Amino acid sequence: MGFSRKIGASVLALVVAAGSAFAQDLQIENADWWTKAGEQFKGVTLRGVTESTPASNYVSDVLAPKFEELTGIRVDVETTSWDQMYDKAIKDMEAGTGIYDMVYIEQDIVYAYMARNFLVNLTKALEEKPELKAANYSEDNFTTFAQNFRGADGGLYGTPMEAFIKVYLYRTDLFSDPEVQAAFKEQTGRDLAPAKTHEEYAEIAQFFTKWGQDHDLDLWGTTAQAHTGHPASWYEYFESIAPTFGVYNWGIDANNNYAASVANGGRMNSPEAKTALKWWLSMRDIAPPESVQSTWTETATTFAAGRVAQGLIYGENAAWIASDEAKSKVVGNVGVALPPVEDGVMAQAEAGEGYIGYYDGGAFGLPVTSKNQDAATLFLQFMALPEVQEEWAAASSRVTLTSTYDTPKVQALDKELGGFFSMLRDQGKLFKGAPEYPFHAQVREATAPIFYEILTGSIEPDAGLDQMAAKAEEELTSLGYRK
Amino acid sequence: MQSRMLGWLLLLPTLLILFLFGVVPFIYVLYVSFHDWNPFAANPEMVWSGANNFRRVVFDAGFLASLGVTVAFVFFAVLSELVIGYALAQAFMKDFPGKAFFRTIHTLPLIMAPIIVGSIWKLMTTPSIGIIPNLLDSWFGYDLNIGQSAAAAFILTVVMDVWHWTPLVTLTLIAALVSLPPDPFEQAQIDGANKRQIFWHITLPMIAPAVVATIFIRLMDALRTVDEVLMLTGGGPGSATRYVGVHIFKEVFPRTNYGYGSAVSVIVLYLTIVACWLLYVSMLAPRNAKKG
Repeated sequence: MGFSRKIGASVLALVVAAGSAFAQDLQIENADWWTKAGEQFKGVTLRGVTESTPASNYVSDVLAPKFEELTGIRVDVETTSWDQMYDKAIKDMEAGTGIYDMVYIEQDIVYAYMARNFLVNLTKALEEKPELKAANYSEDNFTTFAQNFRGADGGLYGTPMEAFIKVYLYRTDLFSDPEVQAAFKEQTGRDLAPAKTHEEYAEIAQFFTKWGQDHDLDLWGTTAQAHTGHPASWYEYFESIAPTFGVYNWGIDANNNYAASVANGGRMNSPEAKTALKWWLSMRDIAPPESVQSTWTETATTFAAGRVAQGLIYGENAAWIASDEAKSKVVGNVGVALPPVEDGVMAQAEAGEGYIGYYDGGAFGLPVTSKNQDAATLFLQFMALPEVQEEWAAASSRVTLTSTYDTPKVQALDKELGGFFSMLRDQGKLFKGAPEYPFHAQVREATAPIFYEILTGSIEPDAGLDQMAAKAEEELTSLGYRK
Repeated sequence: MQSRMLGWLLLLPTLLILFLFGVVPFIYVLYVSFHDWNPFAANPEMVWSGANNFRRVVFDAGFLASLGVTVAFVFFAVLSELVIGYALAQAFMKDFPGKAFFRTIHTLPLIMAPIIVGSIWKLMTTPSIGIIPNLLDSWFGYDLNIGQSAAAAFILTVVMDVWHWTPLVTLTLIAALVSLPPDPFEQAQIDGANKRQIFWHITLPMIAPAVVATIFIRLMDALRTVDEVLMLTGGGPGSATRYVGVHIFKEVFPRTNYGYGSAVSVIVLYLTIVACWLLYVSMLAPRNAKKG
């Protein structure tokens, strides 16, 4: 064997060993059943496409190799950028090419996919082929988040694999520093504590931005997911900020002919919406300079770099921010709280008439165009086994099964995260995913250019929201939803 | 007769591939452009709409704005690439220590995928962590933030394109310069022509076909720029860098507005052909006519 071949073989052995080491950590019950179930699919390779997120990376790095080890079915999960993921999945399903056996369905696009009958009803598929149903798999174990992936027929159209809320993270080391506390008290007349209202949040943000300037620190009072050319900023406003001011479902009234403008009965350009936008822009203006280029990823890295005192952060990042010293400078100093809200909004959320923030997440769906539907059904169940959930939750702060909350690792991490998992379990009901619109991306893209112009200051916020409401109605009319 | 048949037979695979991957998709796009088709509309079927999509293009302020910034982008990017590419080509024609090394290094951007180029430049230009804003701040006290400044974002996309594609221009022009016969240059020197005269009256006319070919290639590439810009600015701030490629991408993919997106694509293709034709007519046709 030549030298280069020896090196190649060694590298290959190392890679295989490393993969196996990961996979061996997971103890799967009824391993023999999985081996037997997989026998008929020997040689099959399942292909999936998903966004590169901590939860998805766990699927490709850990679950897929373990599944292959048990069943002999190879699983190739392509992790790519958010827009590429949609582009590839939609084109494949629309054209019926059948390249993918599993596609990531974010909670906001599932209604569009179901409206087009792109997905297999997994409940029905397992009822029709009970021999493929794993003993440890149960739809009853899913958290209520799974309701987002059920169709009108009650069937499940995706295996939930990612679920988290967008929370208010704050720096416990700063908030508990006696010097900071004294200065804050002197300046504002009240004790420093996580904000419950927008006024309090703004006060804290202004205080810390000034504190950073005065002490020559790279520290600002708040983050802002305010990219001036990326949908992340649109989402921050419509899904995280506007609801805390009482503007729900993007201000579009589905029960009133999808009205968006106040003139027609919508709330996209309502006084509350305008106040919300101006408040958010005022926070953006005192956030770190990178905020105007920040998407959901960058706000998390900004927080992890210790550059802000508080901010709204997607919960999928909470675990690594609070615990991974290789990536985060604020390990051990992360507190979690509910987002600040206007008067009356919390009561509406508790009564189920509104919500205070975004419950985000996704599932793996099985396209009707897949050529390996039975084998894919096996993998989708494998992802929902209780025994794989503990490590997965610890790796990417997501919980999709109720049983996961009671596992030792999750309970330990919950303390480290300042109660993130407890909040997800107990207060998750106050948050909500995207509205059940089949035209999600279409309305977003139609209105986003105006929104970006508002962010750059080319259009005043009030006039901009008026234009956006009109544009949303125009788009909905053009799509045939608004009569 | 037999040799003609053989010629066609040898050409057949190429013609077949061209037809399948060039002509058929184009006909399909043309077909779609005459329909309203959005798979996520209340009616997801294709509906014949005649020339409606083309009429909309003409009055679409978003498209017209994107066309305007694209023309500016193409002008500055291609012109800069030509000037810098020619200067580098001339430099690489001379001997100097480490020439082979510098030539290799200089071509590295060319082999990078556009998406990687966009990612690298995004990393380099992000305030607080990017090397470019840090250097500009410490050297000149200039606060670069392409998420805020439309001019800075536009200039940076041009600089990124120049960085990525100038090596292609350099390589093409080196090939052209190397193939030039020495006699006219020697004769011009004997006649007492200076460097500027030699460049305008001998070098440039002789390498004109290569220059025009390079401009064609870069013009077409620059007109369809998408990945790099999408990664770097997302088309922002606002619509400052929403070039036509980005505009079409956003119409066709996230908005799934296939009919209208196809119409815009057809218009842009037509404009590209017209631009290339104008270029050919203004730069090469008079010269060919003179030869004739």
